[in-house]
Amino acid sequence: MSFAEIVTLEVYVFLGALAAIIGYRVLTGQINMNYLLYGTRKGGAKYFSPERIQLLLFTLGTAMFYLNDVMQHRTSGVLPDVSTETLALLGGSHAVYLSGKAYMMLLKKPGKGE
Amino acid sequence: MLLLLLMQAAQSTTQPTPYVQPWVGALAAWVALGFLGLIGVAILYYVFTGKIDLSGLISEPTGDASMSRFQLLVFTFVIAASLFLIIASAAPSPKFPDVIPSGILMLLGISASSYLVSKGIQQSSPEGRAGRGPEIKIAAEKNLTTFGGDTIQFQAEVFGLEDKSVTWTILDPPGFGTIDADGLYTPPASGEPDTVVIKAASKEKLNVSDTESIRVDKAG
Repeated sequence: MSFAEIVTLEVYVFLGALAAIIGYRVLTGQINMNYLLYGTRKGGAKYFSPERIQLLLFTLGTAMFYLNDVMQHRTSGVLPDVSTETLALLGGSHAVYLSGKAYMMLLKKPGKGE
Repeated sequence: MLLLLLMQAAQSTTQPTPYVQPWVGALAAWVALGFLGLIGVAILYYVFTGKIDLSGLISEPTGDASMSRFQLLVFTFVIAASLFLIIASAAPSPKFPDVIPSGILMLLGISASSYLVSKGIQQSSPEGRAGRGPEIKIAAEKNLTTFGGDTIQFQAEVFGLEDKSVTWTILDPPGFGTIDADGLYTPPASGEPDTVVIKAASKEKLNVSDTESIRVDKAG
């Protein structure tokens, strides 16, 4: 086995094992995922947050499509680029998330009972 | 990345220079490879055994999971894994890409900037800034017992959570006596005197916990 093969194997094992441990702990609840999709209003009340849902979908979608792209071109030696349209969509998604968070945490006054 | 640089260094040792014998470079690369491998194994071992605590990997100081941290984690993993895959799969031999596409840099920039802005918003809000502080406080009825001696009852007060139940564990040294689900500690029958650290962790939020130490001495 050559030096290059051992380095490759070492990195594969490290990244794979780390990803497996993190994935397992997320699935079994050992990594805290509570309130991932909830925001905090000014005043401290929690609310179900659509802006977090859309960010989650865009994040996972972009990541999966990119990984698919990488798998298809992995022998090319070139890292695939991300299209301008995808970046614009992702940027928009983040803008919606941050705007919603800023509005709820800094601007919106608590309603009755909150 | 260090490993990949090493790989290139090892490959370059086939081209001797007037100053360094080829075997010196190859030996250095193998030593460095072994050293980094050991570090990798140690990190994985500590993560697997919980000594590197990942329960709050994407949590805010308040204990809630954070979407901005989550998306940063996802993109970091995906881009790092993709880069390594491209390097390792390049034909005829592994090599770094000549160019990192600007789209990738922008993607990481959006992800990291969003995280930073999110933290900024949080720090601008009293609720985000304050957090909830320690939400569990442990108290022991006494902090000294003897081998085979009295049990010690621990109490945990949980603040700011709906679920007040906790999980009791003997953190250090593991297995030094027993503790039941109600926080009743029973010392071992015999052994060397030691300080025992007891941990109570919230069942609702795993990263919310508190610890307390007691001493177990020999009788008499």
